[in-house]
Amino acid sequence: MLRTTLAGLRAHRLRLLLTALAITLGVGFIAGTFVLTDTIRAGFARTFAADADRVDVAVLPAGATQGGDDVLPAATLEKVRAVAGVADAQGLIRGSAALIGSDGKVVGDLPTGAISIAEGPLNRTRITSGRAPAAAGEAVLDENTAKTRKFAVGDTVTVLDHDQAQHRFTLVGLFDVGVDQELGFTGALGYTAEDARRMTGVKGFAEIDVKADGTTDPARLKAAVAAALGVGVEVMTGQELADVLASANGVSTDFITAGLLLFGLVAMLVAALVIYNTFTILVAQRTREMALLRCIGATKGQVFGSILLESAVVGLLSSLLGLLAGLGLGAAALAVLSGLEVDIPTGTAELTPRTVIAGLALGMVVTVGAALLPARSATRVAPVAALRTQVEERGFRTGVLRSVVSGLFLAVGAGVIAYAVSMEPGEQALFAVVGGGAVVFLGVLALGPVLVRPLAAFTGWVPRRLFGVPGRLAVDNSRRNPSRSATTTVALTIGVTLMTMMSVLTASTRATANAQLDEQFPVDYMVSAQAGEGTVPRSIAADLRTRPELSSVVQLREVPAKVGGARGEWPVGTFEGPFTVVTTSGSMSGFRAGTVVVGDTAAGKLGVKVGDQIRVVTEEAGTVPLTVIALYDSGSSPLPDLTVPAAAFQEYFGAVDDSRVMVKRAEGVPADRGRTVVEAAAQPYPTALVSSAAEVRGEFDQALDMMLMIVTGLLGLAILISLLGIANTLSLSVHERTRESALLRALGLTRPQLRGMLTVEALVLGLIGALVGVVLGIVFGWAAVQTMADSPRFDLPVAQVLAFVALSGVAGVVAALLPARRAARASIVGALATS
Amino acid sequence: MTVTDTGVRRRAPHAVVARGLTKVYGQGDAAVHALRGVDVSFATEAFTAIMGPSGSGKSTLMHCLAGLDTVTGGTVHIGDVELTGLGDKQLTKLRRERIGFIFQAFNLLPTLTAEQNIRLPLEIAGRQADQALFEKVIETVGLRDRLKHRPTELSGGQQQRVAVARALISKPQVIFADEPTGNLDSRSGAEVLSFLRASVRELGQTIVMVTHDPLAASYADRVVFLHDGSLVSELYQPTPQSVLDTLLKLEG
Repeated sequence: MLRTTLAGLRAHRLRLLLTALAITLGVGFIAGTFVLTDTIRAGFARTFAADADRVDVAVLPAGATQGGDDVLPAATLEKVRAVAGVADAQGLIRGSAALIGSDGKVVGDLPTGAISIAEGPLNRTRITSGRAPAAAGEAVLDENTAKTRKFAVGDTVTVLDHDQAQHRFTLVGLFDVGVDQELGFTGALGYTAEDARRMTGVKGFAEIDVKADGTTDPARLKAAVAAALGVGVEVMTGQELADVLASANGVSTDFITAGLLLFGLVAMLVAALVIYNTFTILVAQRTREMALLRCIGATKGQVFGSILLESAVVGLLSSLLGLLAGLGLGAAALAVLSGLEVDIPTGTAELTPRTVIAGLALGMVVTVGAALLPARSATRVAPVAALRTQVEERGFRTGVLRSVVSGLFLAVGAGVIAYAVSMEPGEQALFAVVGGGAVVFLGVLALGPVLVRPLAAFTGWVPRRLFGVPGRLAVDNSRRNPSRSATTTVALTIGVTLMTMMSVLTASTRATANAQLDEQFPVDYMVSAQAGEGTVPRSIAADLRTRPELSSVVQLREVPAKVGGARGEWPVGTFEGPFTVVTTSGSMSGFRAGTVVVGDTAAGKLGVKVGDQIRVVTEEAGTVPLTVIALYDSGSSPLPDLTVPAAAFQEYFGAVDDSRVMVKRAEGVPADRGRTVVEAAAQPYPTALVSSAAEVRGEFDQALDMMLMIVTGLLGLAILISLLGIANTLSLSVHERTRESALLRALGLTRPQLRGMLTVEALVLGLIGALVGVVLGIVFGWAAVQTMADSPRFDLPVAQVLAFVALSGVAGVVAALLPARRAARASIVGALATS
Repeated sequence: MTVTDTGVRRRAPHAVVARGLTKVYGQGDAAVHALRGVDVSFATEAFTAIMGPSGSGKSTLMHCLAGLDTVTGGTVHIGDVELTGLGDKQLTKLRRERIGFIFQAFNLLPTLTAEQNIRLPLEIAGRQADQALFEKVIETVGLRDRLKHRPTELSGGQQQRVAVARALISKPQVIFADEPTGNLDSRSGAEVLSFLRASVRELGQTIVMVTHDPLAASYADRVVFLHDGSLVSELYQPTPQSVLDTLLKLEG
């Protein structure tokens, strides 16, 4: 039996090639994900281990490894230095101090990082050119910022300290921030310990590194240091610190792994459908072969086993190829990443045992699992079938069970989605939509064979009329075996559904955000501090009000304050200038001292409504009771959660500077003229940054487009696999219909017409898959949008969706190229002779 | 090369003429000479049977005459057109316009109804069916109440009658029938053969049939005998007995 199976495999190797390719692609993607993230993770571990070698014991504030912001007091350093066995101890200062670029404005969206560079062997910073700062007034700059802002060793730079005072430093070197994601993002300057303290205003150390004098081992020294310091600190050996840091970074790679694996699993699901279909068709075509085996004495079990064995061999071979492909993919991704100069450690691609096992196991399980049902139907072939001359085509009838099951799935799924849409927007609702969507999809999967006929009639309407006889025959053929067509197209539907959903989500998110910008926040320019947390002087707004080019200037101010009966601090603020608050309940008519308007989200959390009183703890006026007179829509308003009149705000908190100034251009003033005016007013203040609504929108759009592009690219794999499925089904069908094709050729169908016929069949299949996918994707997308915001805008990117449908059709045509060529080349006489 | 004027066609005394037809499969030592210089012609409006033992080359001869297979040497004319040397596209067009086919098995497309199958050649050629002819053909083969059925719902004899109707409907210059009764029981076979003969008598159709059944051959006006790739004998107005005798002579 084994020999028969292997002989069969050899005989059908061409037919199984496409199936194997589907598995290879899926396993390759998953293995590639592991290779990529394992390599990055190993790189992190290596980097931190190298750091750990320099440090014997590290002292951190308690909770620092969980992301706390506490610092170690300066006295701690002295205590550490006094511990017996400590050769040297250095405190690391870490904060921020904004670097001013050559345009006179602070650099970047966030203030530049500021760190102290330790002296001696405990220095962990890698200086790549020049030297470390040795005296006051000297600094080193990270390489990336130096490159993008065009600074070089020897230049003088201006940096703002924590009080916004300007200081000048001489750059004596450049350094590499390594794998520090935060410093990589903000850029960083390194100073001497004294300068770092002066610039950042930080009173203590983020970390104290200890070098042992060689008389004790790190573990014992760690115990001694811990004993000397008592509670409130975390003491670790260098190795432990490296492990903690590596695993903290590992968490972010875990996210990448999980995200990528999700796409990999979608691809494997599609591959499973392709395999299921292939084996079903192969079993159907080999009915006589199976029957013959049964006739000469093979048991049902042996027939079943031979099919499973066949799938296992295919699964194993293609998974092995998939692992190789994964290694290549991972290496390619690493090459691209290092080419893009992303701050992640890279190295040689690592193929861990886990990757090998996971890849092989998944490939095998999916292949063998998908072949189970076809193998079972092979056992149902009666021995007498071997004697029949012609294999009957199995007709398809809608069973009661199928109708009930698919109806149930559809109803339950639709119900869950409807419920999710009615829920409060949020993660739970989104998850409910995802779950409901999955159930609906199962329903569609079960209903597929029933849907194929009417859908083929629909999508085939044009080809039928356009391509004459070949077109009509093609459409008939596409409906001929509904189960086969359904499985083939569902594979494509999965990818198209997800793509459509993503593009609907993206377009709707964009529309929602734009609507909020347009209706509730109609400003042309905004002046704000770097990072959005600082303030800009009020004089800027005063200056802007005098300019005739501008029609409206609104100042926003806010401070955090405690609110009686509620935990934490709440932003309390005010506005000054022509600004209309759009209320959702109550009225602004009585807006005076002693009253407050509250954002509806904050009101919900505070548990207050119009007419209630809130007690706010102020700096200048003690605790004041405020009456809520109105609520506004938090999602679309720039106002702070608790907004009071400007005069009252000054009374409560003193003369606070503006956190934001919103500016509108006068009618008829050109955009660039308006911008020049606003920039001129902000010019004297390095931290006052000017942005325009168009810029904000542009950046947002770019981020969305980028995300859509990445997701679409990743889903492309699933689409590619489903196309292999179409090509596979088609070539198997072509094989089945060899004599039919020959008959048509004998009756006068030309080769191009025969090719055209198969192409149209693939086109119809592709369009069916796309059509179902687009409809589902739009519905799912709409439901998901409803769960994201209170008053979402739904936007259907018609052009994109039509493009998906068109591309699916084209892809189907491409998938038909080879099978059609083979069918057209076959000799008529030879084909007619085959029985 | 479109010749639809039946007047022109009918004037030619021979619908199909083959001269020095040879067909060799393989090369060198492995070469098999399926046809060794066959000279044969088939009269217009006649029913001719090609007979011979298995491996005599009768099917090969038919495939070559019908332009389904290429020849190694010699010429074949269908009416006034020489089909040897034509490209695939021209051959296909020729088949469409001048040749009808009836095969032993698998004659019909399973997705189409009987009527659609019958009209298929005309539709492929983009021609309109002659409604009067259609009615007459349907009447002759007795399929009126079966037109909406699919092949799987028809008996073997009915399927073959549909195939005959399909071959007749386009009024081809010649119909090639390859063992048309090979898969049928004797009664259905006799019916189909009667229709074929009737179509020659009443519709003036030209039919060339390959068969190894003496009874089937006896329906023809003339029988030609092939042996080892050569034309060895012929009979006019055959009877089953005369055909059998000739065959036995050839075998012996």
